[in-house]
This record gives sequence, structure tokens and C-alpha cells, in this order.
Amino acid sequence: MTEIPVRDFDFHGPALDTIFDTYKELRDHCPVGWSDRYGGFWFLAKNEDIFNAEQDWATFSVAPSMLLPAFGTDEPMIPIDIDPPLHSAYRKLLLPLFTPRAVDALTPLVEETARTLADEVVKGEVADIGLGYARPLPSIIFCTLVGYPPEDWHMFDGWVDRIIYDRDVNPDESATAANEVRDYLWSLVERRRQEPPKDDITGRLITAQIDGRPITDEEILNYGYLLFLAGLDTTAWAIRSSLWYLARNPQDQERLRRDPGLISSAAEEFLRTMSPVQAMARTATKDVEVGGCPIKKGDRVVLAFGSGNRDEDAYPDPDEIIIDREENRHFAFGAGIHRCLGSNLGRREVIVALREFLDRVPPFEAVNLDEPWHGVGPLTVRFIREA
Amino acid sequence: MRIAVDPSKCQGHNRCMIFAPDVFEVDDYGFATVQNPAGTVPEERVEAVRTAVANCPELAILVLED
Repeated sequence: MTEIPVRDFDFHGPALDTIFDTYKELRDHCPVGWSDRYGGFWFLAKNEDIFNAEQDWATFSVAPSMLLPAFGTDEPMIPIDIDPPLHSAYRKLLLPLFTPRAVDALTPLVEETARTLADEVVKGEVADIGLGYARPLPSIIFCTLVGYPPEDWHMFDGWVDRIIYDRDVNPDESATAANEVRDYLWSLVERRRQEPPKDDITGRLITAQIDGRPITDEEILNYGYLLFLAGLDTTAWAIRSSLWYLARNPQDQERLRRDPGLISSAAEEFLRTMSPVQAMARTATKDVEVGGCPIKKGDRVVLAFGSGNRDEDAYPDPDEIIIDREENRHFAFGAGIHRCLGSNLGRREVIVALREFLDRVPPFEAVNLDEPWHGVGPLTVRFIREA
Repeated sequence: MRIAVDPSKCQGHNRCMIFAPDVFEVDDYGFATVQNPAGTVPEERVEAVRTAVANCPELAILVLED
């Protein structure tokens, strides 16, 4: 029997500080291997292996959860923890709200919100643009999209931090916060059922038919819960990490100011190299071999998107951030049938956030060099004003 | 150049619409097709289509004739 390659691979919290070096070591020496963390899982570190697993949904199931560890609940989140055939019925419900046309219609609100936030953070000499810009922007847009009361976005960050970012170290707190969010979502559903119909996400969910039958209360909650956790911190992370890079790379910041036409390809490059979702999990539905490793039915398999996105076999100079990179297929939004439902909106928010920020504020530089590239924490910058 | 979008592969990322919005189109769910039913790409749009092919996360754009 061949020996199974083992690494103490983690993809949460402080492990992210040095994860690009970790990925390189895995790709070079252990492209498929086993980690004992989180109950034990196989990991795939190569771009091609990740792509193939994403396409083969029959072998790599998303049940019981795409998240490892789960987001504070054992309830399956809809649609990401659901396999076909039900999966496509769920997705079809909301896909029309995220097409390029639908996103175009939302864009003026994104622009106006970005300007208002930028004008506020730039008032001082130093600002936390993680807290003041990257985080509120997606939350405010999300309120409109889902139908939450606009002022409620102030409550979201705390919930998201407890459910997502503390879950590997404090699962009880994560579960408590999950219950609070589910109660909050449910009160919105009950309120909306008394009100005249409106065409937003909540409006579509509460009136939905799934394969010819009315959606259940449980399904509404499990869909709403997923959206709450999928659309807020991911976009905030993408905006923050882009600004984190620009605060440390004045030449590229200046280049984007001079040539805003490059912002779209720059955003794509930031998404590739600093993806908000570094990995997602699957469960093998049968015994399968990948890269010589014997994955058994029922084993958890982690697709390390962040590693695939820096695979030297897929990109020239994969660890270089090249803001006008032309060929840029990547896994920031996943691939296959579970690709991010909101990718068009997410991309648009990042691009608008960068464009409006560079347009409204003077050159900015990093103040606290210890602030990491990842996460949704503080990003402290100083604005450099002409004397 | 002649192309097609494989409907079993397209997942609606809409990257093709960024690079060649005059060659591709999307339905109400965001799934892409080629506007020209014959799939023929005008000479002056070949380069843009090549960029779209290289950026499709699903490898869903098939080059039938180059």
C-alpha cells in the first residue's frame, strides 16, 4: 500500500497570513493530500484537479455542506449545499436578478453609495477604509436587493464576524449568531407576507414555486441565510484586499488613476490572487482516485481555489499581480454548477468601488503594515494631500 | 473563425459579455449563446473572441473553425 501524503493544511484565520507559500509547497510536493484538521479532509491544490472536481458534481457532492467547518448550523444552505436535480430549480428562482442587465440597473445605486462613503472617509488625514468603505458598501446594496430595512446594515458585520470568521475557534458563538440571523430573517419574511408584493429577493422567495409546489418556510429560511452569508463579507473582502494592494503599491495606484480603463482587468487580477473564498469543500459519493490518492466514499475533499488560482501550470508568473493581465480564468467565484450566483454583481461592486474611490480621494498609503491581506478587518490608510 | 457556446458547460459567468458583447448574448437566466446562429465571427472581432475564450471559467466557448 502506498503511503498517503499528509500535511497540516489549514485555510482559516492566521494560516492565511502565509498561505501562498503553503500553496506553493503543496503544488510542488503534495498536490493532493490529507489534513487532519476539521474532522479530516483531502485537499486538491492544482488548478486542473480543482476544475475537474467542480465539473464532476455527481462524484463530488456538496452535501452536507460546501463549508468546512459549517456556518453555525447543520441546516443545508440553499442552493450551495444542495445537489441536482433540486439545485437547478432553486438557482433558477434568483438567477434573473443577477444577470448583466439586472446588475446594470443596480449600478447607479452602487455608484452613489460608493461616492457617499468615499466622501465621508476622506474627511480625515487617516482612515480605516475597511470599516468605513469596503464593508458598508456591499451591505447597503444588499439591503435594497433583498428587501431589508436600509438602516439594518449596521447590525450585519457583527453577525458575519461571529458566524464566519470565529467559527473555527468558537463554534458555539457561531451557532448562537446563526440563530440570531435566522430569527431576524424570519421576522422579515413574516412582515413581508403582510405587505403588498415587491420584486426583490425576499419577494421572489416567499412567492416561489419549486417544481410546481409552493416553497416551504424552511426552504425560504435556508435560502435567505445563505444569501446573507454569501454576499456581504466576500464582496467586502474583495474591495478591501484590492485597496490593501493599492495602498502598498503606489505605482499601480497611480497607473489606475491615469488609466481607469484598466480597473476592470485589475479587479479581476485582485480577485484571482486574493480570492475572498480560498477554498470550498465537497464529499465523495464513491471511491475515486485523484493524483494517485485513494479518496473513499464519504471523505471530505477541499478544493483549494486560492492555490489553483496561483498554479504555475495555469498562469505565467502566477504570484505576480499584473493589473493588465489579459488571460485570467480563475476560481474566485468557483466553477461548475455551483459557481457564485452573484458573481456579476460582485464584480460590478468591486469595479465601481475602486473607480469611485480613486476618483474621489487623493493618493493613499498604508499606515499599519501589520494589517493582513486577507479578511474584512481594519485597513488603515493615510491620504497624501498636496502641501 | 466559427464558434459555439456549449450549453451543458456555460454556467452564466458572463465573462464573454465583457470582451465581446456584440458577438454573444445572454438569456433571462444569464446563460450565453452566440448571436449569429451560424457562429461565424467577423474578422475584426476575432481577437476579442479569443480573449473571451481564454477567460471563460468553464471552457464553454468552443472554437469550431479557426
